[in-house]
Amino acid sequence: MRDKVRKLSSPSERRSTGGRMQVPLRPEIDTGTGATSDERARAMIEIDRVSKRFETSGRKSHLALADINLTVNDGAFVSILGPSGCGKSTLLYIVGGFVAPSEGVARMKGAAITGPGPDRGPVFQEFALFPWKTVLGNVMYGLRQQGVKRTEAEAQSLRLIEMVGLKGFEHFYPKELSGGMKQRVAIARTLAYRPSVLLMDEPFGALDAHTRTRLQNDLLNIWERDRKTVLFVTHSVEEAVFLSDKVVVMTRAPGRIKEIVDIDLSRPRVRAELLLDSRYQKYVVDIERMIDDGRDDAEHP
Amino acid sequence: MSTQRLATVLMGALPILFVLAIWQALCSFGFAPPSLLPPPGKVFLRLAQQLGSLGFLDDILATMIRLFAGFLIAVVLGVGIGLAAAVVPAINAVVRPLVQVLAPLPKVALYPALIILFGFDHASKITLVTLDALFPILLSTYYGASMVEQKLVWSALAAGTPRWQILFKVIAPAALPSILTGCRIGLVISCIVVFLAEMISSTDGLGHLLVGAARTFQTVDMFVPLITISLLGLMLNGLLYGLRKYLLRGFPEV
Repeated sequence: MRDKVRKLSSPSERRSTGGRMQVPLRPEIDTGTGATSDERARAMIEIDRVSKRFETSGRKSHLALADINLTVNDGAFVSILGPSGCGKSTLLYIVGGFVAPSEGVARMKGAAITGPGPDRGPVFQEFALFPWKTVLGNVMYGLRQQGVKRTEAEAQSLRLIEMVGLKGFEHFYPKELSGGMKQRVAIARTLAYRPSVLLMDEPFGALDAHTRTRLQNDLLNIWERDRKTVLFVTHSVEEAVFLSDKVVVMTRAPGRIKEIVDIDLSRPRVRAELLLDSRYQKYVVDIERMIDDGRDDAEHP
Repeated sequence: MSTQRLATVLMGALPILFVLAIWQALCSFGFAPPSLLPPPGKVFLRLAQQLGSLGFLDDILATMIRLFAGFLIAVVLGVGIGLAAAVVPAINAVVRPLVQVLAPLPKVALYPALIILFGFDHASKITLVTLDALFPILLSTYYGASMVEQKLVWSALAAGTPRWQILFKVIAPAALPSILTGCRIGLVISCIVVFLAEMISSTDGLGHLLVGAARTFQTVDMFVPLITISLLGLMLNGLLYGLRKYLLRGFPEV
């Protein structure tokens, strides 16, 4: 198992992929020992030899994640990209502390993650808003849990609701909102308790193409303000390249890291410019090819 | 909005009026002898008269006390045990087999024993109502609480909710639609069972009135308690519907 990871990250492999592409790809698979002290200091999340095995019916168990090593630096926007069922959401849940790894350890600012906490804020594809609370009630929830006084929590929440473009909808219930609006509320609810890391699990996966584009732009604008660390799971290559500093490409089950691609495009990014940028197009095409290669492997082992 | 509401109420009343019309027709065209099936007009007139008599009101009161007490105890126990079983596996391990054994049991069969234990007064009837209304409330609470979307819980945990508060802050409110559905079923069962208990053995209450009238072959007086309990059920159901509508105003399927 580990041999394959080593092989993928070996210098010859790097050269061969690098030679095929004009944009240099620098897979940085951090084994935990090779990181410099500078990288250590800036590391927000360290995933250290994490595997996840699910017990299924019968004696067979399903290996969802195999030997994942990944370091996410403070302030980085990192996307995890892969075919469905490759365990990319599971990896995010492990960082969130919702799921425990079978082997290995995930660390947040150097401390092992043992459970959920307000330093890591999730945003789910299904929105997961509290249906019994209004927009304001949902956004206020985290602040109230942190012990912020009602009036102060309300004032902060109203500002956030305005920031995500939902001014005037404070007293609506989630059921009265469209999918895109619901996800804006969910993002505001998570931003409200000021997590150090945003964990986004295919947040725009359930939205139509137009809404999706708008939310991507708005997310980038919000992110530009304070540059929180973001771990973003998606299966859309364009979305990953458009948003991220780094794209982690995973193989199909059991999920392993196939490549880590640095997206060397300037910020702030403007969609209209980026779509015409040949470097952006090259990233998209190359990463798509990488995922297709994985498919061939699975079909002809 | 209000005209729409009025329209729904009228639409709801139509089938009831239709049944009353059939009842009237059965009497008018001589299909049923008036000594066995009195016409609805006569029954409602008698009901109106009775509502003025203190004795009749006492009987209604007795039935309502038993109905409410039994139902409310069933709600408290059913919701409490249902939530506890859904959250704590050890409690579930104890409750599950007991529910499987006790739920299909005809609770009326326990009534003689309850009378011996608690006497002829309120206590035995309240206990019977509770026993019968308990299981639908318990079961729907349990399934509702077991099927709460995992990501709601995760969202609350990530926002800093302590684990022990998840039950009250997420699971109970998220299970509210199921809990209220169980209560609705429990309420109907309560109406049936309180009447039944009073018919079997009682010194007052609507069920007792019916049995008394039947024994003396006063058919009009026999129908009055029946109409009363169904009107009572209609009113209580309306109240619960209003409560449900208010509590579940944010939920999509209501």
